Amino acid sequence: MFASPLAKRMAEQAGLDLGSLKGSGPNGRVVKADIEAAVSGGARKPAAAPAAAAPVAAPTPTLGAAPSADVPGMPAYEEFPNSNMRKVIAKRLTESKQFAPHFYLTIDCEIDELLKVRKELNAKGDDYKLSVNDLVIRATALALKRVPAANASWTEKAIRVYKQVDISVAVAIDEGLITPVIRDAGSKGLKQISAEMKDLATRARERKLKPEEFQGGTFSISNLGMFGIKDFAAVINPPQGAILAVGAGEQRAVVKDGALAIATVMSCTLSVDHRVVDGAIGAEFLAAFKKLVEDPLTMLL
Amino acid sequence: MADTQFDVIVVGGGPGGYVAAIRASQLGLKAAVIEREHLGGICLNWGCIPTKALLRSSEVSHILHNLDAYGFSAKDISYDLAKVVQRSRKIAKQLSGGVAHLLKKNKVTVVDGHGKLAGTQGGLRKVDVSKDGKPVGSYTAKHVILATGARARTLPGLEPDGKTIVTYREAMVPETMPKSLLVIGSGAIGMEFASFHHDMGCAVTVIEVVDRILPAEDEEISAFAHKQFAKQGMTIKTGVKVAKLEKGGKGARATIEVAGKSETIEVEKVILAVGIVGNVEDIGLEGTKVKVEKTHVVINEWMETGEPGVYAIGDLAGPPWLAHKASHEGVICVERIAGVKGLHPLDVRKIPGCTYCRPQIASVGLSEAKAKAAGYDIRVGRFPFVGNGKAIALGESEGMVKTVFDKKTGELLGAHMIGAEVTELIQGYGVAMTLETTEAELMHAVFPHPTLSEMMHESVLDAYGRAIHF
Ligand SMILES: Cc1cc2nc3c(=O)[nH]c(=O)nc-3n(C[C@H](O)[C@H](O)[C@H](O)COP(=O)(O)OP(=O)(O)OC[C@H]3O[C@@H](n4cnc5c(N)ncnc54)[C@H](O)[C@@H]3O)c2cc1C
Repeated sequence: MFASPLAKRMAEQAGLDLGSLKGSGPNGRVVKADIEAAVSGGARKPAAAPAAAAPVAAPTPTLGAAPSADVPGMPAYEEFPNSNMRKVIAKRLTESKQFAPHFYLTIDCEIDELLKVRKELNAKGDDYKLSVNDLVIRATALALKRVPAANASWTEKAIRVYKQVDISVAVAIDEGLITPVIRDAGSKGLKQISAEMKDLATRARERKLKPEEFQGGTFSISNLGMFGIKDFAAVINPPQGAILAVGAGEQRAVVKDGALAIATVMSCTLSVDHRVVDGAIGAEFLAAFKKLVEDPLTMLL
Repeated sequence: MADTQFDVIVVGGGPGGYVAAIRASQLGLKAAVIEREHLGGICLNWGCIPTKALLRSSEVSHILHNLDAYGFSAKDISYDLAKVVQRSRKIAKQLSGGVAHLLKKNKVTVVDGHGKLAGTQGGLRKVDVSKDGKPVGSYTAKHVILATGARARTLPGLEPDGKTIVTYREAMVPETMPKSLLVIGSGAIGMEFASFHHDMGCAVTVIEVVDRILPAEDEEISAFAHKQFAKQGMTIKTGVKVAKLEKGGKGARATIEVAGKSETIEVEKVILAVGIVGNVEDIGLEGTKVKVEKTHVVINEWMETGEPGVYAIGDLAGPPWLAHKASHEGVICVERIAGVKGLHPLDVRKIPGCTYCRPQIASVGLSEAKAKAAGYDIRVGRFPFVGNGKAIALGESEGMVKTVFDKKTGELLGAHMIGAEVTELIQGYGVAMTLETTEAELMHAVFPHPTLSEMMHESVLDAYGRAIHF
């Protein structure tokens, strides 16, 4: 294998298959930078629609046994070798669905007020532009601070309740998806969250994230609203205990005080690891989240 | 009529500029260098090379004054400063002439004069050249590389007069050896002049505003150097602010503040070595998108400025202020222009830095403190000169080699050396870093015995608790 000694060692530690990497060093030598790029972004296509958040932390080389695709009667195909990132996603999500007993809670939030506040805030300055997602991150972080039991992980010995809210946000990139982390999101203002998110997302797409910027995280958000998805359920990003799937805000007919009215509604579904979080706590978190989203001024406090 | 249209015009013929032009020519680009004063720039004429020539003389002086250690004796050791300086100037001149020859051989056009960006003409960048204020011609090229270098920084209240209070330029050609000297600033330039004067028999005081000398080096190396210089008899004061510097008394009088107390130092001569500033003036940056910050032109990893087709390299483009960094940037810049494939930006962490005082200091990569601050879990190896046979045989048993590794991956993060000839050794680690070796290959490599280089091996071994000779 034509790779630098350091690259070889780092590949081994990250569980990467050197053979699948393209070297960027002289004469195609695999160097440290290639390993870092592979760990933070995968080595090859194809583009996949993000379905759920998967972390790219602590990858290991072997995948769970998959049923063979080699059955008779399939049409002609083209093969795209799995990038390391693809392999890691496959392994982690398979593990999640196998070991974490998922259950799902859905809530509808009216966001007309949130859209209005966002617009007003954005009109107030030109050094930032808040997205709905930025507000969702902030609301999630505050809700988790109010209901810390939802900010937790399962371990064999104990349930770990984290003292800080580090939110992993799923970002779709060419090779799959990656979850950069907004650290201590609970104590960051909207402007800072927005700036950090923009920076992380840009660098994620350029595959320039450092491992510490996408590893870890205590809770995930996956937002497919921009694709018009009304509601979906995401796969938990282990070892986290829950993930919030955010749908599109759309105008719907709602009943208010016995009369039909129109409101912009965003459906959010929380996938929960039942080993860590029970239904009542999940519901409590969603209620806190909804309250913040529907009364957005309270999240400016 | 002479040619006036080029693919690449380089403004400034220092180690950044002339190397860029030669590489451009090698790649089939038509290149010109505009130089107003001396080919080879500061480096060959007023920097790296002439100082090394002077320091060779002071090293000889040091040996002559310690002959007894080697079994010799001599009486009436003396020197002729004019000859010492002459030797240094001759070497500078020889090398500058060499650059002229190299440029000619590589078919690079050399234009004698001061170059200045002058907008565009027919879709090309225009550069106007003048000599002694009179226009001598206009040249055009698709790409213009600015490599105008830098000069000594002066601070308000610390202005040189060129005789008693000087910067490196005058310090390079002294007419007499002062009995006492004050060096303000303990970076590489300051320490080299301090060491030269000290070994030539002058009483030297060095003052530094921060809390340690050679502040760019690893803290342990700074401390080691401080001890060595003090032992030699130099006076070193750190954490010192200069309140006032004026001519008078024996030559100059400095009022300094140390730990809240005021002191005066009287000396014959003062050398100011408080940093450098980029030559950004009068090169036509006004009205362009070229950004200047802290007297240096702002560039991206491909040496591009904010103005398309205008690049900046070397001292002009900021620290580290080193000739080899200037040259390397020049090469990358030109290769990028020529569309060479597989290019990588310069990795600042792999640029070695050397200081040629006695003892010499050399380093590459992260200091121990910087590695820790960057979040690495580290292993540190050290090996002292006194454990090395060759060092003792040379009569140079004071120094050390320090290595810093990433505990997790075994990556060599930094190497820091002080002692005889370390400036010739550091590149061993430089190559190792560039090839991305881990501690395993360094341990595997066979180092010849007896050499100073064996300490490089031992330092690596020590980082893993395996040093043999200490
Ligand atoms: C005393 C001293 C000792 C040093 N020792 C070392 C050392 O040991 N090792 C090391 O690596 N570095 C050393 N340096 C630093 C080194 O000299 C510089 O980093 C190096 O010269 C930078 O190269 P450059 O090409 O960027 O600029 P320069 O060498 O400064 O060259 C710039 C050139 O451009 C010319 N010029 C400027 N403006 C114009 C214009 N408008 N038109 C035409 N020409 C112009 C100047 O005349 C000059 O020749 C030392 C510096 C000093 C002062």
